[in-house]
Amino acid sequence: MAEPILAIRGLRAGYPGNVVLKGLDLAVPEGRITAIVGPNGHGKSTLLRAISGLVRIEAGEIALRGKRIDGRRPDQIVEDGVIQLPQGDLLFPSMTVQENLLMGAYRKAAAADVDTRLGKVFDIFPKLKERRGQVAGTLSGGERRMCGIGRGLMAGGDVLMLDEPSLGLAPIVIDQIYEVIFDLRRRGQTILLVEENAQRIAEHADMIHLLDNGRFAWSGLGPDLLARPEILETYLGA
Amino acid sequence: MTDVLIQIVASGLTLGAMYAVATVGLSLVYGSLNMLNMAHGAVLTLGGYVCYAAMTLAGLPAVLAFAVAAAVCAAAGLAIYFAAALPLLRSGNFETNIFIATIGIGSVIENLMLKTFGPYPIPQPLAVPGHLIVGGVHIPYQNLFILGVALALMAAVAVLLQRTRTGRAIRATSMNRDAAQLMGVRVGKVYAQVLALSGALAAVSGIMISSIATLTPVMGGDPMLKAFIVCVVAGLGNVYGAVVAAILLGLIEAGTQYVFGVRWSFAILLLIVIVVLIWRPYGLFGRQQVVRL
Amino acid sequence: MSPVRRDILIGLAFLIAAIALPLLVPGRYIVTQSTLLFVWAIVVVQWNLVLGVGGIFSLAQMALFAAGAYATAMLGFYWKWPMLLAIPAGGVVAIVVSLVVGLACLRLKGPYVALLTLAVAQVMYVLIVNDTDCFTTTGGCMPLFGGVRGIGQFGDIGLRALFPSKWYVAHYYVALALLAVAIAFSVVVIRGPLGLAFRALRDNPGYAMSRGISRFKYQLWIFGVSAFFTGIAGGFYAVHFRVVGPSVFSFQLLLFLIAMIVVGGLGSIWGPLLGAVLLMFADEAMKEFSDYRNIGLGLLLAVFVIAWPNGIVGWIDTLRQRRRARKAAAELSR
Repeated sequence: MAEPILAIRGLRAGYPGNVVLKGLDLAVPEGRITAIVGPNGHGKSTLLRAISGLVRIEAGEIALRGKRIDGRRPDQIVEDGVIQLPQGDLLFPSMTVQENLLMGAYRKAAAADVDTRLGKVFDIFPKLKERRGQVAGTLSGGERRMCGIGRGLMAGGDVLMLDEPSLGLAPIVIDQIYEVIFDLRRRGQTILLVEENAQRIAEHADMIHLLDNGRFAWSGLGPDLLARPEILETYLGA
Repeated sequence: MTDVLIQIVASGLTLGAMYAVATVGLSLVYGSLNMLNMAHGAVLTLGGYVCYAAMTLAGLPAVLAFAVAAAVCAAAGLAIYFAAALPLLRSGNFETNIFIATIGIGSVIENLMLKTFGPYPIPQPLAVPGHLIVGGVHIPYQNLFILGVALALMAAVAVLLQRTRTGRAIRATSMNRDAAQLMGVRVGKVYAQVLALSGALAAVSGIMISSIATLTPVMGGDPMLKAFIVCVVAGLGNVYGAVVAAILLGLIEAGTQYVFGVRWSFAILLLIVIVVLIWRPYGLFGRQQVVRL
Repeated sequence: MSPVRRDILIGLAFLIAAIALPLLVPGRYIVTQSTLLFVWAIVVVQWNLVLGVGGIFSLAQMALFAAGAYATAMLGFYWKWPMLLAIPAGGVVAIVVSLVVGLACLRLKGPYVALLTLAVAQVMYVLIVNDTDCFTTTGGCMPLFGGVRGIGQFGDIGLRALFPSKWYVAHYYVALALLAVAIAFSVVVIRGPLGLAFRALRDNPGYAMSRGISRFKYQLWIFGVSAFFTGIAGGFYAVHFRVVGPSVFSFQLLLFLIAMIVVGGLGSIWGPLLGAVLLMFADEAMKEFSDYRNIGLGLLLAVFVIAWPNGIVGWIDTLRQRRRARKAAAELSR
């Protein structure tokens, strides 16, 4: 297997007095979908926040294309090309849709050709073009998610990390959102995806890691997980 | 009757304009850092004195003195960021600690000026002579000048916030610190920029206020308290609401001064604020933040 | 040693030293300055309950002090109340003022509380100082609240008549007794159910509130009760100096008192007292440099908040914890 684009070794991280990640190893291959599944409260979001530099790392290392990025500031990690789409979107509520998208292209690498990027995002989500002048705080749940994903795409990072992109959406909207994500993969985008519902992505994910209590309990190919009902039942209650 | 009204509106607008300039800086700083800068009044006084010193002692022309004062106060804002806000951001309980720390810093700046310039009032040399007569009422050009400068500054700040990359980053940081970082915004830089900008704005309002009153080492206290009241009425951190509230409170103050006398105007102002806050606890234009427990 | 026993021991040691002081030191100066120290110590010990325990960012403490002082003076001046009745009445007036301020402010977020309480104090000051209408003309024109000059000639607690040459020592012991009660009260609050409720509200507000602990209710309680002692301190201050004027609203005094709390240790039992002693000492020692007093005070406040946010007591606690940890580690490795 080729050298992974993002490599994590022995990662311990968490909050004061509460270590959430207890020694994780993870390799994210380039151009694939790597999915992290597992029950709530076991460190999935903390893992993404640690990679983005928002959570203090106690031990271990994180490398992007062989270069250490742990210990760098969150804005530097974004400049390096690791983009996170946070859980619940965290849009800028009093900004318009277009301003939110422009914020997505804040990093220097993206600021140069904002207009082309904006055009591409509007092609993927025509609805955002309709709503470009609307204040983000007044969007519906599905539109808000589109705006969040669109904002992440504006950055054009090498690694796109999505934290539960299906959270709180109607099933039909979830399908649309995942269609966009799988399409990105087809075009060669590296994706690190956090998802609570394993069945939803098992078929499409290239690698799946099951995170339980701060450690990976199982790792393998997506379809293999579906063939292991006992794992699904133990960890995911399915 | 109309001339009284004209008088009230004219002085109310001037007051409001000065409060607005003093308030916008405070509001920006609170919006992006959750920091109540209690040294703001002292920085404002510093601006007034620097302008005075630059004009009378160094003999600089007014425009240059204005710029020097703004630059010195911007530097003071930066110093407050690096000496107090930055180290305190790393520890817990930031809001309370920075509040106390800036009370101390404000006292230091104020008393340094007392040592340097003495306790006696000094007239601000930057003055525009002459007056305009509207409906039988004398309106000094000084007041119009203040109004004009304030409007120009407000417009400049609005353009900065709405139309530039830096301004968008400032707004993004004040709406959601984490999300702004995930966009690649270096929030430390935003904080420093905001404090410098707030210092420069404080300098301008200090020059304006001292030009219609006089320079004293304690002159910053009253406008700062009123600027805070404006912030609170508008909803802390709401910059545009603060401008509207500043003008409103300026008019109310001028009106109550005329009707009840100077002595009661501040008390009535405070009463109005308390009533507003009981009616809308997050200010007139503030929105309740969802606090997750 | 259990915390309560430690508190009692520290308190007793302090009390014995304080009782002995007038017998050991010659002259009048140290005793009268210590009396003033006790008055400020009462104020900061009670303010610490509001600020450090209740989490109420109130800057109205000196306004409550003034309410007590003015009420005492005015009851004596206008209605000829005996001071022994007027001082507790001053405490009650301070409670009433605190409840009015509390009802208006306490539902708001922290910074709003700080600004509004500061504004309330400022309004009281402005109204008193700018009042020039004569309310009474017996013995010269005097505004209702005494205006800039303040109120005097309102009576005494009688110790001056009882001990003509040593009345200041008697006042010293009265102040000490008041301080002892104020500290005992603060220990009870911090170690008792009220302190527990506030700790619960701080550590897990959601759970605490779902168990029926109302932050507003408890904050109003602690605000009101601490106002009582503060008001009494104000009343005693008025009697001791035989005059009360608008100088009690001075911002520099507020700065001095808040620096005592911060230097000693916000939220701790003994921190404010320690801070009060240290700052009064420093103030005396630096008398020659009084020009730089407020610059030094400001620096001290800023430096302590930034470098030692938990004050000297917090710093001692960290040292003790470290020593305990080292001891435990040494025992493990043995």
